[in-house]
Amino acid sequence: MRVTIFFLSALLGLPIFASSLPSEQRKNNKLVQAALSPVQLSLQSGSAVFYNDSDRKPFLYGTVVSPDGYILTKASELELVEEFHVRIDEERYRELKVVAIDTVWDLALVKAEATELTPVVWAPSSDLAHGTWVVSNGATERRYRRPRPGIISANKRAISGGTQMVLGVGLKDTDEGIVITSITEGSGAEKAKLQKGDLIIKVDDQDSKKREDFVELIKEKTAEDSIELVVKRDEETLTLDVELTSRYKLYGGSKSRNDQMSGGDNHISRRRTGFPMVIQHETQLTRRSVGGPLLTFDGECVGLNIAAVNRVEVYAVPVENLLEVLSEMMEEAEANGKN
Amino acid sequence: MICRPHCILLLALSMLSSLLARPYFNNLEAPESLEDLKKIQETLQVSLPKTRAATVCLEIGEGSGSGVIISEDGLVLTAAHVSGGVDKEITVVLEDGRKLKGRSLGLNSETDAAMLQITDPGPFPFVEVDMDDSFKLGDWVFALGHSGGFDKERGVNVRIGRMVRQADSTVQSDCMLIGGDSGGPLFDIEGKLIAIHSRVGASKEESMHVPIREFQRSWEEMSKGEFLGEGGFAKKPEPGSGFLGVMVEENEKGEIEVKELFSKSVAEKAGIKVGAILLEIDGKALANKDSFYDALSTKGVEEFVLIRWSFQEEVFEKKIELVERP
Repeated sequence: MRVTIFFLSALLGLPIFASSLPSEQRKNNKLVQAALSPVQLSLQSGSAVFYNDSDRKPFLYGTVVSPDGYILTKASELELVEEFHVRIDEERYRELKVVAIDTVWDLALVKAEATELTPVVWAPSSDLAHGTWVVSNGATERRYRRPRPGIISANKRAISGGTQMVLGVGLKDTDEGIVITSITEGSGAEKAKLQKGDLIIKVDDQDSKKREDFVELIKEKTAEDSIELVVKRDEETLTLDVELTSRYKLYGGSKSRNDQMSGGDNHISRRRTGFPMVIQHETQLTRRSVGGPLLTFDGECVGLNIAAVNRVEVYAVPVENLLEVLSEMMEEAEANGKN
Repeated sequence: MICRPHCILLLALSMLSSLLARPYFNNLEAPESLEDLKKIQETLQVSLPKTRAATVCLEIGEGSGSGVIISEDGLVLTAAHVSGGVDKEITVVLEDGRKLKGRSLGLNSETDAAMLQITDPGPFPFVEVDMDDSFKLGDWVFALGHSGGFDKERGVNVRIGRMVRQADSTVQSDCMLIGGDSGGPLFDIEGKLIAIHSRVGASKEESMHVPIREFQRSWEEMSKGEFLGEGGFAKKPEPGSGFLGVMVEENEKGEIEVKELFSKSVAEKAGIKVGAILLEIDGKALANKDSFYDALSTKGVEEFVLIRWSFQEEVFEKKIELVERP
């Protein structure tokens, strides 16, 4: 893997004779925020703040998608907090239910007992050229959502990330078939007592001879589920149920220098890969400030901030994809409601 | 100096005209409305195609940084801690993925300024350089770079901000930077190159850049390939640290003959064989064994030697990059 050349951090001595711009005039600060006040109105009504009940601190934003209280947000951050409440505009909502999860896009649909909310107004994301201003949730006060500006900073594209679900094993192709070369600590593979050297014969009753085929079979798995493996160990043939784990849970956590430069686990999202399509912008957000809407200067929503990738990159799910997933999630929620 | 009233008037007029030539939003304390911000966006978007095309990723060994082309024939400005030394081979990658050959010219290890030359034939896309040092505190600027290395799908990464601090050898903006952006360009909003990304500070909003005036100060020396200063941004190779991997003896004819060859050494990779007769080093004929070792003892790791040798009645010549002693 290629390494990037890094900045020597700080400490190289700031020049003695310097003049600097007053803090309030800087890009993220007071005066530019004031200029954004027309967009702030849409942020105020169209975004939700998730508070952790245990410490009463905000830990995530959400996007209000219906007048009767449906809110979309980032699933992998929401699942970390057991009890939470939400604030939309100035109102607090305590009766909340997670009604659908989409693991491909890492979205959760939450229902609040609310009426007459003002949901975001959607607008196409297709004409967002590089350099276009966008507005996201900055810091929040109890009654006031602060706007934070940024620009579209790179090409719209898919972000690869391998399979979303993993067994927690290293695999090698051999003449006989796929051989397990390592077991990750804390994985489903470890719990199922798989061993180094086991030869994989079948996955969920299908023959699996090559790593490629194996990955294809796992790729379709999106939920934390288990699979049935038939393995050959010495002369024995064993059938084992192995739990799948989300990739970011098992292998997540920051590793690279750039991740550390971005504030590490504290600042970057747990899940930031494996999205079928994203818009990229450079707004300064952290893992706690995604989940909310990505707004244009007309106050219209062109996406949902889905991952704080590092200090210069934020991904948003484009509105076109978002609406498709949303309607699927609504159907799922309805079906579940009837059961 | 005597200054007559009409001089003052002229001075005032020239100051006024320079103010008028600037985009109006740079003269505001801060944008006052969405309209002001949209004007910034419009100006930026006009500047982007040309500036993106000239922003390159520099691949050096296992590392990568950024740079910007400033002439049709491929002169590139970058940071000293990216080029890392003088006369080094560097692969220059354009946003569309095209890979070009390049070689580093000089650098200033105290200011973090460096130059390199694309050696493949041009013409190349290039940007205009603000040679008049005309930017001011508070000006809207934008940073480009190949953050985290080259990514064709993503392309060049754009960031916007303001000039927030000015000092002699460093300027600071609130454009965000990360590893891989080093050496990349900072532009005024109209797309003129004003500085090169150097490093980041302790807080997120502190990005330091080397202003063009620092490049101008040692332009001549850098274009000639000189290694300037004894700063921390680049280290001069230590004489004698470079390793070629041959052992020579004078044979009965008085020739310098290769007696032993270290396996997998750069000499072996260059095609030198046991029994080869070394003729010249860096263009100088070899009188005896000592003149060969003396010439080598001045060379450091990653420096080059031009060696001319003969083997089985054939003559070869190659530029060989020295490596660390195993």
